[in-house]
Formats: sequence, structure tokens, C-alpha cells
Amino acid sequence: MFRYFPFILKNTLRNRRRSILTISSIAVSLCILGVLMALYQAMFFGEPTPAQALRLITRHRVSLTQPIPISYREKIQRIPGVRGVMAWQWFGGVYKDRRDPNNFFPRFGAEPEFFFQVYPEFQIPDDEKQAFQHERTGAVISRTLADQMHFKLGDRITLVGDIFPVTLDLKLVGIFDEPSHAAILYFNRAYLRDALGANNPRQNEVGAFLIQAVNADDVPRIADTVDRQFDNSPFPTRTESEKAFQLSFAAFVGNLKLFIMAIFGAVTFTVLLVSGNTISMSVRERIREVGILKTLGFTPGAILSIILGESVFISIVGGALGCLLASGICGVMRKGPGGNFMAALRTLEISPAVAVLCIATALLIGLISSSLPAWSASRTSILDSLRSTG
Amino acid sequence: MAETVIETHQLTKEFVRDAFHVVALKEVDITVVRGEFVALMGPSGSGKSTLLHLIAAMDRPTSGEILVLGQNLRSLNDRAIAKWRNAHIGFIFQSFNLIPVLSAIENVELPLKLTNLSKKERLEHATTALQLVGLGDRLHHLPRQLSGGQEQRVAIARAIVTDPDLVLADEPTGNLDAGSAQEVLTLLSRLNKEFAKTIVMVTHDPHAAHFATKARHLEKAELLPEGQVPADWK
Repeated sequence: MFRYFPFILKNTLRNRRRSILTISSIAVSLCILGVLMALYQAMFFGEPTPAQALRLITRHRVSLTQPIPISYREKIQRIPGVRGVMAWQWFGGVYKDRRDPNNFFPRFGAEPEFFFQVYPEFQIPDDEKQAFQHERTGAVISRTLADQMHFKLGDRITLVGDIFPVTLDLKLVGIFDEPSHAAILYFNRAYLRDALGANNPRQNEVGAFLIQAVNADDVPRIADTVDRQFDNSPFPTRTESEKAFQLSFAAFVGNLKLFIMAIFGAVTFTVLLVSGNTISMSVRERIREVGILKTLGFTPGAILSIILGESVFISIVGGALGCLLASGICGVMRKGPGGNFMAALRTLEISPAVAVLCIATALLIGLISSSLPAWSASRTSILDSLRSTG
Repeated sequence: MAETVIETHQLTKEFVRDAFHVVALKEVDITVVRGEFVALMGPSGSGKSTLLHLIAAMDRPTSGEILVLGQNLRSLNDRAIAKWRNAHIGFIFQSFNLIPVLSAIENVELPLKLTNLSKKERLEHATTALQLVGLGDRLHHLPRQLSGGQEQRVAIARAIVTDPDLVLADEPTGNLDAGSAQEVLTLLSRLNKEFAKTIVMVTHDPHAAHFATKARHLEKAELLPEGQVPADWK
């Protein structure tokens, strides 16, 4: 096989435009597959950090958009193995001009007294932590958001509510460093409660609870205990790991696994057809040369391996280029605003496993798409091949 | 007694084309001994190319026996025949049939890729073969950079590079001008005389046949007795 490689290479370069177009189509397809595989790996196979492994999120069983009572906190806190519980509220709202995508960053209501307990990996100077805990209108933001929006301590940040009928005039009192580099803002949930007014029933509702367990072994038991506790209440809950919660956030768009697999299948099938058609055309044009090679003593197996080799070579080059492209796209996605909502995006990368899978897919595409024309050429009789006019 | 290289008994080839039953070769008995240069002559459709293809095992007979270099070709499968052909047969086509993306030396090296020779040895052999046909200075030229006569000489070099026992040529001068044809025929004659190559050449051309040591005529799929020519032969 390697003995024929120079010949395979020359055949590949014979019709450069067609080869470049085929390689490009495979590269683009494999790039899409690479990004999908990286996404799938980050979402469904990524390992949580030690701090994440201790965190659970309790929300309404039906949907994240359904609130749960704030009174659940006391009951959750009493469960053995729970170190802390924090109410957590998605606010949404509009900051300045909503048409500027930079102004769209996640903002959550949190409880300052528990905030740095459930997020021990967030680093903030003590005086800023104190200010967050004591100023009702205080807000803290990640370093990434501060850099992105050029915010500095003391700045006023006004959020006009859309989910909630209130406007929050926040004062930036702290900037924290966190490992995932998300652009994110937290404010004191008490301020939202006050702004809603005493008669507003939403005052005593919350979007979710963040639970911090004492150790990771307790996590499944705590999740089960919380949900069983509220099983027959008007507000049944679902408690899941932080990672699973982020996936359910993403699942608003539908069944993600199925979605990814469907695109994966469609792209692979399409590129198989494109590649198969190109190889068939290329073999048909050179069927006379197959006859010449056979006359020189090339066996059907040798002919088969030369044609398969050519197709596999094109596919692997396309696959490698696709991997490089996908790696670039993952880099862009890592830095994009999507990572603020889904932590998995912030770790998106073409890992060695994904790269190997990409190349293996390219190899399979090359083999499958050329197997029929290669088999057919290897079985065509010498005289039929020599009679062919291409 | 000279060794028999080709021996056929009642060799027949029939095929069906567009519902017509065609007898391409009928009960041919021919013997070629080592060192002969045989010209197979006859009008178009007389069966001379069919006979050449059967000798090269590029096709299988409908009936009869064919022994080439003592090997009964009907008993071999496709893979074994390919290997046998590589080891024992050199084939020269009318239309040269070089691989256009390969240089002269790479074209000549091709049959050697099926042997156990190293890359260096293969290139040495290919260079020697090209020098033998007078193209030592055209090793790296692509077929499109060569004249028709030079292309055919590259094809001859490719046919002899494995040092085959039998060289088969199918109208080797059919696509050449008179000067180039003369060069190619002289070369084949030299291979026969100086290197004792057994050559079977199909040709229409009586002038080409003069380079052979023996001429055999076919007419309407039948081989005429030695020395006999078709009635309308000029």
C-alpha cells in the first residue's frame, strides 16, 4: 500500500480543482462534525470541578420558568449533608440599548450572605465582599464582564425589568475572579424583593435554589431527599447537578442529544454522497488506466487499494483541515457570550479524542464512498477497461 | 530442440455482442518457440488481437487449450494470472498507454512496484531500460512532453523492465509516423536478436512484418497454415 503512495498522491493531484473542492467540502463537513462532537463531549462528558461537584440546583419540576416558594429554603437547609442554600433568581432585564449584543449579559438575584459560600471558587477582596453583603443595591460582577464593559467600582448599572416590572439601579461594589471567565452579574435579591413591593406575590417566589453539599458522596442522596420532600406539594421540584441544570437550560431548544445526532447523521450522509460521486467520476475517467495497470500485473486487490487509498487520502486531508477549522470555531465559541449561559461552552475544545473521532469519521467516509467504484473497477475485465473511453 | 513458449490446441474464442454470436478465433493451433519474433498478420476482425489477448491471459478462451511458458492459463485465478503476467509478459499497446501523471521513469518503474525490489533497485532497473531504448536523457519527462515515437519507446522500456520471457506487441507502430515506426521496429528486432527476447507482434503492415523472423496470417478467425497468405493479400 505505501509502495503505491506516490502514485496515489499524483492521482490525487491530477485534477487539482476537483480535489481541492472535494477536500474543501469534506473539511467544512468535518468542521461541523468536529464542533458538534466537541459540544457533545463538553456537555455530556465533561467532568465537573470539585466545587461544581458539590453544588446542586433545585427548580420547579415542570420548567425553569416556573417559580418555587422561598419557604423551601428552610426545609432544604435541614437535610443532613447540606452545608448551605442560596436563593437564585434569573432577572433578565435590559441594560442600555438592547440592540447591542454586548449589553446582553446574564444577571441574577442572589443572597450575598451565602453567595461566596456556595461559590468558593470566586475570589474577591474582603472589603468588596463586605460591601456586597451590606449594600442593598450592591452588585458584583466577574472580571470578564468588567473588562468587557469597562465597568469600575462605584459605577451605576441600571437594569430595566422585562420579566419583573421593576427597574433596578445597581451600584457596582465588587469584582470577582472566577475560573470559567464568564461575563456575569449578581445583585442582592432582597433589592428585587423590595422593588416588587410587599403586595406582590412574586416577592416570596424564587427561580431556583443553589445547594452546597458537605461532600460529593452526599449529592445524589440530597437531590433525592429534596425532590421527595416536595413531591406532593403544589410546587414539585427537580434537583440536579449544576452541569445537568445547565443542560436543561440548553434543552429549551429541544432534545439536544437528538438534535446533535441528527445534524451529525445528515452531514455525514451528505458528505458521503458528495465524496462518493466525486470518486465515481474520477474512477470512471480513469477506467482505461485500470486496464493498463492490470496488463502490467496489478492484481484486483492492488487496484482496489490504490483507489481506496486515493479516496482515504483526500478524506483524511479534508478531515484534518476540518479539525483545524473546528478548533478555531471552538476558540471563538469559548470567548462568545454563549459561555455566560452554558459553562460547557467555556471549555469547548477539539480534544485529542474528538480529533481522533473526526479523522476516523473522515477515514470511514473515504472508505465507504469509494468502496463501490473501487470494487467495480477492480473487477472490470482488462479488455472492457481498455475499451473504455472515459 | 528449442523450448516451446506458446502452444495452443483448438483455441477458440466466441462471444455475444448485441445478440450476435461472434466467433473471434476458431480452433487455432500455433506454436512459438523461444527466441522467435513472430508477426501475426491479417485484416481487421481476423482474430489476431484476440489471439494476442489470450496469450497474455487478458481474456479467457471459450474452448481449447493454451499453454504459455508451460503454464495452463485456464487453471489460474485472476490474482495468480496477474502475478504471472507481471513476471513473464511484457505488453506493448498501439496507443502507448502511458500513465499521463507519471514521468517516463515512473511509468517504467510501475511493473517493478509489484516485485520485491527496493526503491533504489527499481529506479536503477527503470533507468537501464530507458537507456536501452535511447531515452536516458528523458527520464523525468511526462508523456505529454514526449513525441509519439518516444512515448512508444517508453512503453517498450516498461514492457521489458521486468525482463519478461515474452514480449507481446499489439500494432506497436499503428499510431506512429514512418520514421518513428522504423525506430520502434528496429528496437524490437534488437531486443529479439541481442537479448533473445521472444516477441509476438500483431500488425497490418507488411513492412513491419519484415522485422519478424516468422509471419503467421489469420483470416476470418482462423490461422492459416505456415507460409500461406490470404488470397487477397498484397
